[in-house]
Amino acid sequence: MEPTIDQVTDQPPSVAAAAATRGATKIYGEGTTAVHALDDVTVAFESARFTAIMGPSGSGKSTLLHCVAGLDTLTSGTAWIGDTELGTLDDTALTLLRRERVGFVFQAFNLVPTLTAEENITLPLALAGRKGDKDWIGEVATTLGLAQRLRHRPSEMSGGEQQRVAVARALASRPEIIFADEPTGNLDSRAGGEVLRFLRQAVDDLGQTIVMVTHDPGAASQADRIVFLADGRVVDEMLQPTAERVLDRMKRFGD
Amino acid sequence: MLLTAIRNLLAHKLRLLTTGLAVMIGVAFMAGTLVLTDTIQKTFDDLFTDAFENTDALVRAEASFDDPNGFGELRGRIDASLLDEVEDVDGVALAAGDVWGFAQAVDRDGDPIGNPGAGSPTFGTNWTASELNTWTLVEGDPPRGDEQVVFDKGTADDGGFGVGDQATVLVQGAPLEVTVSGIARIGGADSPGGASFTMFTTEAAQRYVGEVGKFDSISIAAEDGVSQDEVVERIAPTLPDGIEVVTGATVTEENQDALREGLSFFNTFMLVFAVVALLVGGFIIFNTFFITVAQRTRENALLRAIGATRRQVLAAVLIEALAIGLIASALGLVAGIPLAAGLKALLAGFGFEIPAGGIVLATGSAVLAFSAGVIVTVLAAVSPSRKAGKVPPVAAMRDVAVGSTGYGSRQRIIVGVLILVLGAAALLYGLFGDPGSALAVVGLGVLLVFFGVSVLGRTVALPLSRVIGLPLPRVRGIAGQLARENAMRNPKRTAATASALMIGVGLVSFITIFAASTKASFSNTVDEAFTGDFIATSGQMGVGGVSPEFTERVNDLPEIEAAGGIRAGLAAIDGDSESLIGASPEAFEIFDVGPVAGTPDDLDETSIAVSEQTADDEGLAVGDRVTVDFTSTGEQDMTVAMVYAENAAAGNWILGLDAFEANYPDQMDVQVFVRKAEGVPSAEALAAVEEVADDFPGVSVLDQTEYKEEQMAFVDQMLGLVYALLALAIIIALLGIGNTLALSIVERTRELGVLRAVGMTRSQLRSAIRWESVIIAVQGALLGLIIGLFFGWALVTALEDEGLNTFAVPFTSLVVVVVLAALAGVVAAVLPARRASRLDVLRAVVTE
Repeated sequence: MEPTIDQVTDQPPSVAAAAATRGATKIYGEGTTAVHALDDVTVAFESARFTAIMGPSGSGKSTLLHCVAGLDTLTSGTAWIGDTELGTLDDTALTLLRRERVGFVFQAFNLVPTLTAEENITLPLALAGRKGDKDWIGEVATTLGLAQRLRHRPSEMSGGEQQRVAVARALASRPEIIFADEPTGNLDSRAGGEVLRFLRQAVDDLGQTIVMVTHDPGAASQADRIVFLADGRVVDEMLQPTAERVLDRMKRFGD
Repeated sequence: MLLTAIRNLLAHKLRLLTTGLAVMIGVAFMAGTLVLTDTIQKTFDDLFTDAFENTDALVRAEASFDDPNGFGELRGRIDASLLDEVEDVDGVALAAGDVWGFAQAVDRDGDPIGNPGAGSPTFGTNWTASELNTWTLVEGDPPRGDEQVVFDKGTADDGGFGVGDQATVLVQGAPLEVTVSGIARIGGADSPGGASFTMFTTEAAQRYVGEVGKFDSISIAAEDGVSQDEVVERIAPTLPDGIEVVTGATVTEENQDALREGLSFFNTFMLVFAVVALLVGGFIIFNTFFITVAQRTRENALLRAIGATRRQVLAAVLIEALAIGLIASALGLVAGIPLAAGLKALLAGFGFEIPAGGIVLATGSAVLAFSAGVIVTVLAAVSPSRKAGKVPPVAAMRDVAVGSTGYGSRQRIIVGVLILVLGAAALLYGLFGDPGSALAVVGLGVLLVFFGVSVLGRTVALPLSRVIGLPLPRVRGIAGQLARENAMRNPKRTAATASALMIGVGLVSFITIFAASTKASFSNTVDEAFTGDFIATSGQMGVGGVSPEFTERVNDLPEIEAAGGIRAGLAAIDGDSESLIGASPEAFEIFDVGPVAGTPDDLDETSIAVSEQTADDEGLAVGDRVTVDFTSTGEQDMTVAMVYAENAAAGNWILGLDAFEANYPDQMDVQVFVRKAEGVPSAEALAAVEEVADDFPGVSVLDQTEYKEEQMAFVDQMLGLVYALLALAIIIALLGIGNTLALSIVERTRELGVLRAVGMTRSQLRSAIRWESVIIAVQGALLGLIIGLFFGWALVTALEDEGLNTFAVPFTSLVVVVVLAALAGVVAAVLPARRASRLDVLRAVVTE
C-alpha cells in the first residue's frame, strides 16, 4: 500500500484546495492497544469555502483538523497546506507555517491572559516581527464589534468577546486557511451565533477559507459543505446543508 | 491525609528533587562545616594527648594575661635553675626543661617552609633526651652541639632534607646554618597539626629561639606508683612565687580547650554561611509551597468538600514539608562529609591550611545540622499550609484562576516597613550603640532587614519588573514583552523568588564594599603617613619576622638615609590584653603617626604612646600612668609620653624601641621602613637594599604600591573565600528561580500551547522564559545591592574610629555583580525553558 501512496503524494492534491490529506492515518498506541484515530482519510478543503467536519465522539474529526493544521503529525499518509506537504517540515518550519499561513480558533483558552485584546489579535504578526496592515486590523476589529475593547485583557471580557478576539486574531494576518475547533462549544447560543455569523461573513465577503470541527448541527449548517467522519474514515459529505438535514444524517450514526 | 501527602510527593518527583536540593545544600554546608571542625578538634585532641603522654606534671610561670586574639593564656619563662630543685623533689623520676620559640626552616629554593601568619605555626624547641620526649626518631640521631637539629618528618619532606644535609633556619638574629642530625615523628603524625618543628639541643634552643638560662616550662615524669596529683602536691610547696605546677592531664585539657576556643570563631564564621544557605533554602521552600498550594486549590477544595477538615488539609501540606525536610536533611548530612573535604580544600586554596585527618562527625553536630534543615523546611511551609487550609469547599466547583495576586495590602506594606525600620535600627544600634552582644544585635538587624525587604518585595516587584523589563519589548519583540508581562503578572511570586537571590547578592555587595573601603582606607593612610621609599617584610603577620641585623646593615648603606623597624608584642595594659608595636626612632621618622601631644623623642624605657581614640575612650593624657603587664618582666609602671592620631596602621599602643627591648625577650622586626638618601636613584637604592635582603631568606623588599598590595592581600584572600562561601547561597537561589519558572510553566501550559499554535517558535518561547528569569534575577540583584550598600555604609561608618576613613563604592565590581546575576538568571532558565519549548503543542491547547 505504501509505495502507491508515495507515488500519488508527489503532487499537491489540486490547485483549488487550500488544504488536503491523502491516505491520512493516525494511530495512537501500539500493538493490541493501538487505536486508529484516522484510517486512510483522503479529503480536500477548497479555497474560499466554509467546510465543516462532523462526526460522533471518537470519529477522529478533531484529530483530522489537528493533523491538517500542523499541530499534530500523521502516522502515515500526507497532509497539505496549499502545495506544502507538512510531513517534510521540521518544528520551526511548521511553526512558521502556522504563523504565516494558518489561523486558529480553539474551543477555549484562545488568548494569552497577559496581553490586551489588540496584542492578542496581532500576536502572530508580532511573533513574526511584523506590524501588519493597521487599517485591515482596525476593520476586522470593528466588524467583530471589538473596537471599544482593544485595550482590555481577556479576564475583563465575556466568553463571546474572547472568542471574537480569537476570530479577529485568525483573520488579522489574512491566512490561507483558518481552522476552528468547536469555536462555539463554550458559548451560549446567542454568542455562538454571532461568532458563526462572522466566520460565514469572512468567507462570503473576504474569500477566506475556513475549516471547522463541530458537533452542533446548527453550527455545521452555516458551512458550504460538511464532511462526515466515523471511526476515522470519511463516510459521507453534504453540500449546502440545512440544520434539519444535518440532524437527520447525524441520527443515522446512532443506528 | 498522610497518604495524600505521600501521594503528592511521589507524583511530583522532580519538584521534590529541586525543592529538596535547596534544603539539602544548606544542610550539607552546615554538616560539612561541623564535620570539619569536629575533625580538626579530634586531630588536635589526639595530638595533645600524644604530646603529653609521659608528662605527669608541668612547672611553669603563672599566666600573665589572656592572648588578645583568643589563643589561650600568655605566660613568661622561668629560671633554668628551677630544674635542679624540681628534680630533687621526692617522687619525681625525671624532669626536663622545655624551650619554645619561633624557628622556620628554609627550603632549597630559599623560601621559608610553612606560613605561620595564616596557617600552622613553625616552632623552634629543644630535643629532650628522656622518655619525656614523645618524638620518635625515624632516621638519624638526636642533635649534638649548636649546629645540629632534628626536623619533624613533614618539614623534612617539604624541604627535601635528609640526615646529614645542610639547612638554613630562620631564628632571631641572623639566619642559622645547621646540619640535619635526625628526622622524627610523633604519635603517628609526620607533622603534628601541620606545624613545623625544628629541634635543637637545649642550650642551642635557649640561645636561638628562647632565652639563655630560661625554660618555658619543666616537664616531669613521676616515679612509679606516684600519681599525677601526688607529684603536683609534692612539688608545689618548693616553688617560688609566680610559678605553678599542674598535672599532665590539666595541661592536655588546657591545650584542647584553648584550641576549642580558637576553633569556635572559625566555626561561627563558617556556620554563618551555612545559615545563610539554609535561609535561602527556606525562602525557596516557602515559595514552592505557596505556588503548589495555589495550583492545588481545586484538589484541596475537593478534599474539603468530601469532608476533610481545615486542619487535615493544613496537616497534609505540613506533612509533605516534613517529609521533604527529613529526606533532604538526611541526604544533606551524608553529603556534608565529602563537603567537609571540599571546604578544607577551599580554605587551603585561599591560604588557610587546616590540619585534619580522618572524618569525625560528632552526634551533637549531626543532630544540629539535621534538625536545622527539618525545622527550616517545616517553618517555611507553615504560611502556605494555612493558605491551603483556608480554601473553601466551593472552590472545587469554580474554575479558579491560578496565581493572580496583586500588590499586597496596606497592612502588609506597613508591617514590611516596620520590620525594615526595626532591622535597620537594630543594625545601627549594634554598630554604633554599645549593646552587650553587638554581634547578635547586628545579626538580628541584618535578618530583619532582609525579611522586611522581602515582605515589601511584593509591593515593589511590579514597578521594578516593569522598569527592568522596559527595554525588552524593543530589543526582543513579543518574546521580550511576554517576559516582562509574565514577570509582572504575579508580583508575589516574582518577589519571593527574587528575595532568595537578594540575600546572596546583598551579602556579596556588602563584603565587596567593605573590602574596597578597607583597602582604600589603608591606601590613604599609607599615602598620608608613609614618607619612605621601601618596606622590607617577612610577609608574615606578627610571627617571626626580619632580623634586626638586616635593619642595621641597611642603615649602614650609603644609598640609604634611614631604616627603622617595628616589632609586635602583646601585653596587658591596665588589665586589658592588647597588641602593641615597638618602633625605632627611624621608623617614627619615616612613618608619621601624627602626634597630637608629645613626640616620639619622649618615648623612653618607661613610657608608652597611645592613640587619640584610645586616649579619649580611657581618659588618658600625656603624663598619666598606666600599668603594663609583660609576660617576661611582669607589671611595669609606664607614663603616657605621646598621643597620636594615626591608628589605622599603627594600632592603639606604641612602645619606643628601648621600652620594647627592655620588656620582650624576642627581638624581630615585622616590617622595616626604608628611606633612600637624597639624590640616589630609586633603582640603585632598591638594588642595594635587595642585596642585603639576599642574606636574609624570606625577607622581601617592596615599594609603596607593592607594600599596599602585600598588606591588603589578606583582604582579597578573605574576599575570595567569602565569595566562594556565598556562592552556595547564590546557587541555591538560582535553583529557586528555576523551580519557580518550572512551576509557572506548568500553570501556563494552555497559554504556551496557544502561543506555540499561533506561531511562536521554540527559540522565541525559550527567549521569553529566559528573559523573565533575567528580570527576576536582576530584581533580586538590585534589591541586594541596595541592602549591601546600606550594610557597607553602616559598618564602614561604625569602624571609622578603627581607621576605616574611606567609604569606597567599587562601581565596576557592583555592575559586574548585577551582570553576573543576569547571566545566572539565564542559566537558571535553561532547564525550564527547554521543558517549556518541548511542550506538546496539541496537548497543551486541548488540556482541560
